[in-house]
Amino acid sequence: MSSSTKFLTLKTCDDKKFVLDEAIAVRSQTIKNMVEDDCVSNVIPLPNVNSKTMTKVIEYWKKHSEEGVSKDVLMDFDKAFVKVHHSILHALILAANFLNDKEILDMMCQEVADRIKGKTPEEIRKEFDIKNDFTPEEEEEIRKENAWAFE
Amino acid sequence: MEGCGDFVQCLLPDMSIKILSCLDDPADLIRVSAVSSSWRQFVIGNDLCKHLCLKRFPEISSVGNMIEVENTVVPVVSQPEKSTEWLCLERNHRVYAFLSRGLSNCITEDCLIDAIHASSTDNYPEESILNTLKPGDRVERRASYWSSGGQSDPTVPETLTYKLISKLCLISEIHVQPFQAYFQFGFPIYSATAVRFRVGHPNVKIDVESDNGLESVAAQARSFCDKIVWTYTSPEFPLVQVINSSGISVSFILISSYP
Repeated sequence: MSSSTKFLTLKTCDDKKFVLDEAIAVRSQTIKNMVEDDCVSNVIPLPNVNSKTMTKVIEYWKKHSEEGVSKDVLMDFDKAFVKVHHSILHALILAANFLNDKEILDMMCQEVADRIKGKTPEEIRKEFDIKNDFTPEEEEEIRKENAWAFE
Repeated sequence: MEGCGDFVQCLLPDMSIKILSCLDDPADLIRVSAVSSSWRQFVIGNDLCKHLCLKRFPEISSVGNMIEVENTVVPVVSQPEKSTEWLCLERNHRVYAFLSRGLSNCITEDCLIDAIHASSTDNYPEESILNTLKPGDRVERRASYWSSGGQSDPTVPETLTYKLISKLCLISEIHVQPFQAYFQFGFPIYSATAVRFRVGHPNVKIDVESDNGLESVAAQARSFCDKIVWTYTSPEFPLVQVINSSGISVSFILISSYP
């Protein structure tokens, strides 16, 4: 069936082009719908995804489409895949949401949540570069209100 | 898109909700709401603590509605600089987080941790209330049941008082097992004609494990029972009298241990 392999060209917002086997690209529900509705011309524009993020997404798609790859290998791959800076995590969430790939979206959201679990507000701010805009009085008030969560 | 750390501000609300819904400890949500004012706004404004609580304890939804509609637990006091709607959300945030945290200790089959007091006992300790803590009618090949001292007037109620396992309990089922005297002729069932349940809390500290001797413990338990604030009393449920009846009406009392 290799003669019937179709390739799609994806164009990211920074004008980079990716040529990809259609069978792999349709892991994205968004692309799948476009293919099924026959509204694919030569190039599929992805205005919400940049090339750096798309490279990561394609890396994931290719690994998870490999034939005969064991569950353990995939688990190790996933573990390493989510070990990125939070800005890349967020970009991947946006991309997965646009591409409508539930698998990547769920995995990334879980990873962000895992980075929050068990941390103090100060540690969470550090993890995600967030500025504390509470006055010391406000912060004290919030802590007092639910003291049990800060023990 | 690049270099944005604050996902609450740079992702769509749906996605931030998805992320924060992966948290299953209410303490995490409380700490998240203390990160920054926009995070606080987001957690409280989307009622995330309530959603978490109802996800973990679906049975609580009717209680939750009562809290909100009847303004019980923590009444909202109007403040000039905040809208009433926001104040309600803030209250729900606190109440539901506290509720899910309190309830997480009692995901257990058995909510009764101790027997406090029986209004009367026929033969102590052979027929003590303590026997009722163990399921089954035989323990170590001896009959295990509680028996009242008996009343000449069958309308006089007998009560059994128990301590609940945690300050906050969600009771979804109560089992009452009438005792069938398997060792007596005709196997009579000694059950009450009806049962009633009460839930409450003491307004004094209780110490059932004091070692001042049995008499004083019993006296303590009795005086303690007089100091309970009852918050709920069930209707009377008739018990089916299958073979024989002792004709005693019993009311079971469940108490929680706060304050």
